[in-house]
Amino acid sequence: MTTEMSRLRVTRRLLLPLAGLVIVLVAWEGTVVAYALPSIVLPSPRAVARTLGELVASRSFWRDVGVSLYEFAAGYATGVVLGIAVGVLIGESRRFRLATTPVIEALRFIVPFAWIPLTILWFGTSFTGKILLVAYAVFFVMVVSTARAVAHVEPTLSRVGTMLGMGRWHLAWKVHLRAAAPTIASAARAAAAIGWIAVVAAEYIGASAGLGLMITNAATSLATSVVIAGMIVIGLIGAGVSALIGSLFRSRLDYR
Amino acid sequence: MIANLPAEPDPPVADAARGGAQTPPEARVRATSPSARHGGELIVDRVFHHFVSSGRRIDVLNDVSFRVAAASVACVVGPSGCGKSTLLGLAAGLLRPASGRMIWDGQAVKLGPNPDLGMAFQQPGLFPWMTVHENVAVGLRTRGRSRRDARAIAERFLHTVGLAEFRDAYPSQLSGGMAQRVGIARALALEPRLLLLDEPFAAVDAFTRLKLQQEFKALLKLHRPTVLFVTHDVPEAIALGDVIVVMTQRPAAVQRIIPVTREDRDRASPAYARKLADTLECLGVSSNLEPEP
Repeated sequence: MTTEMSRLRVTRRLLLPLAGLVIVLVAWEGTVVAYALPSIVLPSPRAVARTLGELVASRSFWRDVGVSLYEFAAGYATGVVLGIAVGVLIGESRRFRLATTPVIEALRFIVPFAWIPLTILWFGTSFTGKILLVAYAVFFVMVVSTARAVAHVEPTLSRVGTMLGMGRWHLAWKVHLRAAAPTIASAARAAAAIGWIAVVAAEYIGASAGLGLMITNAATSLATSVVIAGMIVIGLIGAGVSALIGSLFRSRLDYR
Repeated sequence: MIANLPAEPDPPVADAARGGAQTPPEARVRATSPSARHGGELIVDRVFHHFVSSGRRIDVLNDVSFRVAAASVACVVGPSGCGKSTLLGLAAGLLRPASGRMIWDGQAVKLGPNPDLGMAFQQPGLFPWMTVHENVAVGLRTRGRSRRDARAIAERFLHTVGLAEFRDAYPSQLSGGMAQRVGIARALALEPRLLLLDEPFAAVDAFTRLKLQQEFKALLKLHRPTVLFVTHDVPEAIALGDVIVVMTQRPAAVQRIIPVTREDRDRASPAYARKLADTLECLGVSSNLEPEP
């Protein structure tokens, strides 16, 4: 019976996802063959796999990955920390909320990509511009969800905290922020995806290194298989980062 | 250092009523002699309160006045939703009265933490990220007790409410009645001078309830806090209270204050039956449930 169950589990956990992948690859290969597409338009999966192998063996590829990850990590950390801090202030203080609401509501609908021309103007193709852009994208996700989560903590818990002798900011830190932590953690995970997208997008437009730049360079020299390989790498890294951040927070913070 | 100083005498009530006298709070908190830990007097002084709900004003308390003598137990009974919990919130400094005031130990109650206070809420309000033991100990830590003291005291009071073996459980693993007992332990562990209890035994089964009432009485003898105890259960009010404060329908006022004597508490005595019938009648319930023939 146990072997039966483990076989079922293998089917679910391994074979089904694999089946999904195979279907996509077959459809891809089929399209290339059926329309006799030249590799400049759409290279076959095997050609892309070969390119991916070559990329992984090259040093410049890893430099691009490193640059993109560095820009992401620095921007993400900044955005998360500042976003949580400001979100807590907004959730806790009516005055602060009233003072900041117009600015935040106006800015949060200006997507990060709209800032790319300005960041290039101000910071050129340096890391700083990209880091700021990621921080910006992440910040607003974190501010809004932190403020909401903190303000919606079960009111009895606040009363209990006050009864136990906690002052206002002690309560904010030890009760509200802690109670809101699981919600904030899921926001942090969503923000990671947005931040990663922002890095790559910024690199497409102006960068001296990074995965986005690698792809634009490949596109201008019609190396389509490098473009697609780069896209796959971006997807894989994004999913990996998001899963990592999710599991990091969930195991420590979840109490539900 | 501070323990060597003589405890400052409490200000006379009349002075405090004029808002003149002020005892430095640290002198009250840190005085460690047993008599200084006894409860003080709680005065509810012409208190009005209302809430605003979707633009409509709902009057909750309508000119409520009574006194709870130092180190005595007042049980508040009254119809559901009449504002008993609001009364506790006001006494705790969690709410500010619309008018009138609460006077605790000679001083008007202000919004915010009160180092004399221990309170058990209607919903247990346990912190879900803390174990049972941490939930009981956390208040002792915020009030400056050492980690070791807090641990020992929490252990003792968990034992009192019969949950010692659940010390490492999380609140989500407890039944409603057990969670409520943790809430009670948390309030008692603070060894408060003012103890406010909002139907603390409501979710507890009848047998455990009687046991907890007994334990509770024993504890009161030990620490002698001033207690305001909200309950729906008139026999409980007679068993635990020195006085019973009967409230009217919302907006609530004090309908009657019924003193309870020692012989009233003997459930086999005619005095108990009379007190029960008396109190129930105040609440508009006949003590004879048989329909008239």
